[in-house]
Amino acid sequence: MEKYYEKELLEELHDIQETYGFISEEDILRISQKRDIPKAQLYGVISFYSMLHLEPTGKYIVRVCDSVSCRLNESAALVKALKDYLKVGENETTKDKKFTLEVVECLGHCDEGPVMMVNDTYYTHLTVTKALQILDSLE
Amino acid sequence: MEKIFLKKDLGKSLEEYDFPGLKNALNMEPQQVINKIKESGLRGRGGAGFPTGIKWETVLSIEDDTKFIICNADEGEPGTFKDRFLLENLPFKVLEGIIISGYATGSKYGYIYIRGEYVEAIKIVKKAIEKLYEKNILGENILNSDFSFDLKLVRGAGAYVCGDETSLINSIEGDRGKSRIKPPLPVFEGLYGKPTVVNNVETLAAAAEIMNYDNNPYSEMGTEKSRGTKLVSISGDVNKPGVYEVEFGKLTVRDIVQELAGGVKGEKIGFVIPGGISTEALTEEELDVPYTYENLQKMGSNIGSGGMIVVSSQRNYLEIVKNVSDFFRDETCGTCFPCREGNKNISKIVSDIYKRGYPTSKEIEIISDIQYAVSSAARCGFGESSLNLILSLFEKFYTKKVEV
Repeated sequence: MEKYYEKELLEELHDIQETYGFISEEDILRISQKRDIPKAQLYGVISFYSMLHLEPTGKYIVRVCDSVSCRLNESAALVKALKDYLKVGENETTKDKKFTLEVVECLGHCDEGPVMMVNDTYYTHLTVTKALQILDSLE
Repeated sequence: MEKIFLKKDLGKSLEEYDFPGLKNALNMEPQQVINKIKESGLRGRGGAGFPTGIKWETVLSIEDDTKFIICNADEGEPGTFKDRFLLENLPFKVLEGIIISGYATGSKYGYIYIRGEYVEAIKIVKKAIEKLYEKNILGENILNSDFSFDLKLVRGAGAYVCGDETSLINSIEGDRGKSRIKPPLPVFEGLYGKPTVVNNVETLAAAAEIMNYDNNPYSEMGTEKSRGTKLVSISGDVNKPGVYEVEFGKLTVRDIVQELAGGVKGEKIGFVIPGGISTEALTEEELDVPYTYENLQKMGSNIGSGGMIVVSSQRNYLEIVKNVSDFFRDETCGTCFPCREGNKNISKIVSDIYKRGYPTSKEIEIISDIQYAVSSAARCGFGESSLNLILSLFEKFYTKKVEV
């Protein structure tokens, strides 16, 4: 039974990402050898999941929800404001490597929209002003 | 009758919560536990509504040293947040349900797969699992019984389709979250090819609650086909969005919106999406339907995940259609050709319609054809239901039959 209870691949990938901010080629080579999984398959897995990254991300990952319930709470304006303010498009990182902006599907706070997550922190009932103040306050 | 979730146990710490349902279960034979769940009439609360007791019984009946329980906590349906509520507020009850299902099916191993975005729920459940190991409610010989059970948490990493049980299984196994062809059903060949029960968070919490009683109060609530209660999460254009527990059959959809969620924000209700964006919309005139599986099905819709989204009449329905079609385009796992290409093409057509402001009858015809192809050829619930809402909105709101 032990083989079922070693650390699951997704958990290992999460751990690497939490430590380094992305999953590097060296990590992929190492996991490929250790787990006997082709590298191509690992790339397939990592690129499938939106929370896993093959390239370095900004210090802060800003995830803003634009699904139906948040849209009814004017998330479209928030998304536009964040893009304008950070001068990036979706899934892009600012030049100073401080922020990566992701427009994501439902974050499960549909009763408190619009919602954004900055790294592990949720911010609910946002206005454009409030959201930009939050980004401003981050060092 | 007291409600199941929302009036009791909320905020109880492990010191106060003593796992009454699990203790009762451990004093019974697995088949007796299953009989009690069957008598309760509990149906899966994740969206499909399959009878829970029958699923458990199938896995119990298979002889295998290794069987698995998976708690599906990959709640990603826009408008649905009741599982997050349970994980954050009643983690012990959810875990209790997982252990009970392990005991009832003869499984020694369990997984709880929580979507990666639920960072708070992940923290809370991780800590709760550690505590249960300390208290011998997980591990070897649970509460000095003959039953041993291990539970691990796996985090999802941002893929809506992993809420489908076969995609979820592939995801735990370390693959892309693509769906599998059924049969075989996971109860026969699931995780690592072993018999596997996949149950939703709310289903397992309800199972724990059912085992709490000597009698079966759950079966006395609701209607014959929809027993017990359902957590409904309400969002959108309402005054009091949130999670509410509804006894089946007691309230109509309109009552839920008006009495529980404080009524619509805006002039009047335009339409209600009753169970997340995979379910067909109900127009304002259709809301006097009692909230049960059978009644919503009669209306051509579904309870779904219980994620109710209310949209005011002042909104442009085409904006919702566009948002939803983009969602399904982005979230298909891409394995089945009709689902991948169908959702992509629908999104393009809808984008044109949105820009123009109205659909042509030709476009509606094409959308309808694609819907038929995708829903009948897709492997999993994603493709089967991805166009339900979009098509229903066109059927109900496409009144300007403009020819171009």
